[in-house]
Amino acid sequence: MKARLQYRPGNTYLHRLHPVVKLGWLVFASLYVFLMRSPILLLISLLGVLLVYASARLPVRRLHGIRLALTTSILLAIMQMVFIREGPILLSMGKWVLTENGLSAAVRVGVRFLAIILLSYAFVLTTAANDLSYALMQAGLPYRYGFSLVSALRLVPVFQQEADIVYKAQLARGFRYDQFRISRLFNMMRSFLLPLLVSSLSKVDALAVSMESRCFGMYPTRTYLRAVPFRRSDFLASALLIISTILIFIIPAPAR
Amino acid sequence: MISIRNLTFRYAGSPEPALRDITLDIEAGEFVVITGKSGCGKSTLALAIAGVLFEQHKGENRGEILVDDSSVLHTPVFQTAHIVGLVQQNPEAQFCTLTVQDEVAFGLENRCVAREKILPRVHAALEATGASHLIQRNLASLSGGEQQRVAIASVIATDPAILIFDEPTSNLDPQATTEIFNVIRELRSRNKLTVLVIEHKLQFLLPFHPRTITLANGRIEKDISVTYPAPGELAAPRPAKKVSAASSPAVCVRNLSIQLGEHPALKNINAEVQRGEFISIMGENGSGKTTFLQSLLGLIPANNGSVSVFGEKLGRAPVSRLARRIGFIFQNPDHQLFASSVWEEATLAPINFGILSEDLRKRARELLTDCDLLGREADHPYRLSYGQKRRLNLISILTYKPDLLLVDEILIGQDHENAHFLLGLLRRCADDGGSVLLVNHHPGLSAPYADRVLFFHAGELVIDADAPRAYQQLRQQGRDAFTPDGLFSSAKTPGEPE
Repeated sequence: MKARLQYRPGNTYLHRLHPVVKLGWLVFASLYVFLMRSPILLLISLLGVLLVYASARLPVRRLHGIRLALTTSILLAIMQMVFIREGPILLSMGKWVLTENGLSAAVRVGVRFLAIILLSYAFVLTTAANDLSYALMQAGLPYRYGFSLVSALRLVPVFQQEADIVYKAQLARGFRYDQFRISRLFNMMRSFLLPLLVSSLSKVDALAVSMESRCFGMYPTRTYLRAVPFRRSDFLASALLIISTILIFIIPAPAR
Repeated sequence: MISIRNLTFRYAGSPEPALRDITLDIEAGEFVVITGKSGCGKSTLALAIAGVLFEQHKGENRGEILVDDSSVLHTPVFQTAHIVGLVQQNPEAQFCTLTVQDEVAFGLENRCVAREKILPRVHAALEATGASHLIQRNLASLSGGEQQRVAIASVIATDPAILIFDEPTSNLDPQATTEIFNVIRELRSRNKLTVLVIEHKLQFLLPFHPRTITLANGRIEKDISVTYPAPGELAAPRPAKKVSAASSPAVCVRNLSIQLGEHPALKNINAEVQRGEFISIMGENGSGKTTFLQSLLGLIPANNGSVSVFGEKLGRAPVSRLARRIGFIFQNPDHQLFASSVWEEATLAPINFGILSEDLRKRARELLTDCDLLGREADHPYRLSYGQKRRLNLISILTYKPDLLLVDEILIGQDHENAHFLLGLLRRCADDGGSVLLVNHHPGLSAPYADRVLFFHAGELVIDADAPRAYQQLRQQGRDAFTPDGLFSSAKTPGEPE
């Protein structure tokens, strides 16, 4: 079984970390791999990312789409090695030369790409999107935006299901997806999207009635029963985050 | 409590008013049922009393609605929402959050109730609807009946004095329907609420002795204390029919098992369907009925066992070819209207199959005439009323005379007249030698038409017998709600608390 790209419940440190603090760390880490120039340090950072995966018990090798990410990052790296011809030559083969600049650019681009993909995956896999929305709202995000996120989370699987039904209903009426013709494409799209649109609109309508009749939007703020707990470890993690952010801007560029 | 004076409302873009000159007084503590054919304005009236109609829809209105002496038309909808709670048809569509606890707390949070005061009220609301055990669950993991209990809890959590239910059970099986109406009864007797229920299934409300208001064409037609058909007047199930075993069966299912994700949807099903048979398929929500029906057209592949239709084993054949002899109608009419006019819709499938002939055109015209849709051929299908859409769904399959008809819940939300009309059309197909399989939650409606009953429970086929015997077995198993007169036997002690 492939590990799908969605929240996997767990009880590791990363799972328990406050969603907003975790989001802060994700932004910081992405910034860090972009500012970092030394290939050696970048490779060490990639190892660090793998350590994060191990600590959260995430199956890095079975992640959905991991092969695509890996292939892309290798292709990006190869392109750097082929096209960058400046700097001291390390290796030459006929017309092609591998330069020191090319090699370090290859590591930089490849590792950055892979690290950012892996970090985002780790965030998605260890954070319940619903918790994130509630945590963001309690951290100050206006609740109307927060609830558009919650509604989206709720409606996406519903729309997926509806699309599946419409597709089946088309097959049952003799629509031939197996005999694909470009001239029919427009008609097929229309007769697929219209039912989906109509039924989605009625769903959205019911949702709007339900929210209104339960006083959504009555006051500029609202209260929350669900408290996303902010533990002592979250305080430590945020303190560390702030210090690290200051540090990467203080440390002079050549040393990075 | 509620006082309506000469209310008229017309939706923008619609030529006819949806409500005409409604004048109505409802006292505190009354129990009122609003009924009438589909499209008569019931739901519009409910939305008007809750105030959301004027907020959500552009339109023209005249008259006045007073709720608790304040004008609904001239106060913000939030104000009205303090007094009026609204529970809609589809439980799933009205959820604003993802978990039970968040959902029940939603209205309280919006009113800025302090956190420590929310939880006790959430508990109380869930307890009142018999859903306390669900508090930690995700909404998506609940059954239809459980979802509707939570939806009711989330409305009563804010303590409205008036509760409006807009066909609260139309998506539920008969067992869950009885349970939800019992919840409503208990709520009312405990909290002295004013309750309005919009409903077709009047027989379920017998124990409440409600005041019944019938709307027709946007007007109040009747306003009476209830009269119901006495149990004796109910349609009797069809007598057992002799099926000639000589002809080969239309459908033959052997050891069929289907797994949907982690969840076994069907377990080792064996069944046969003869030509000329009309079969009623029943069972609780989520018991595997729809999966079974879809597997007969190859829409869901078998994990184990086999399905043969007219001697051909399903599996390889493309659905679009099988569909020529197997017609399928889905639950929601809006999911299956593809053309831009009623006439195109009626002839769409024959064109796809490449068999549209003058004969078929003639048949389509006859069907449109029978279904009272003549003269609407050029209209867009989405302009039809709900009941008309259902008839068009049926026409679009019947034009090409499939030998096997698979129909998933065509009776939801239909008034009795339209329901019997649709059932009559299906029966005629069976009498002409076709086979009809109808998934339904309405034994009271389908009993006079069905030769045989298949009953599913938790993915297993637990009853497969001719109609009279099947209903007897259901009664013996304590599943009275699924028998045609079950409501009356389970409603022996009206008004008495359990």
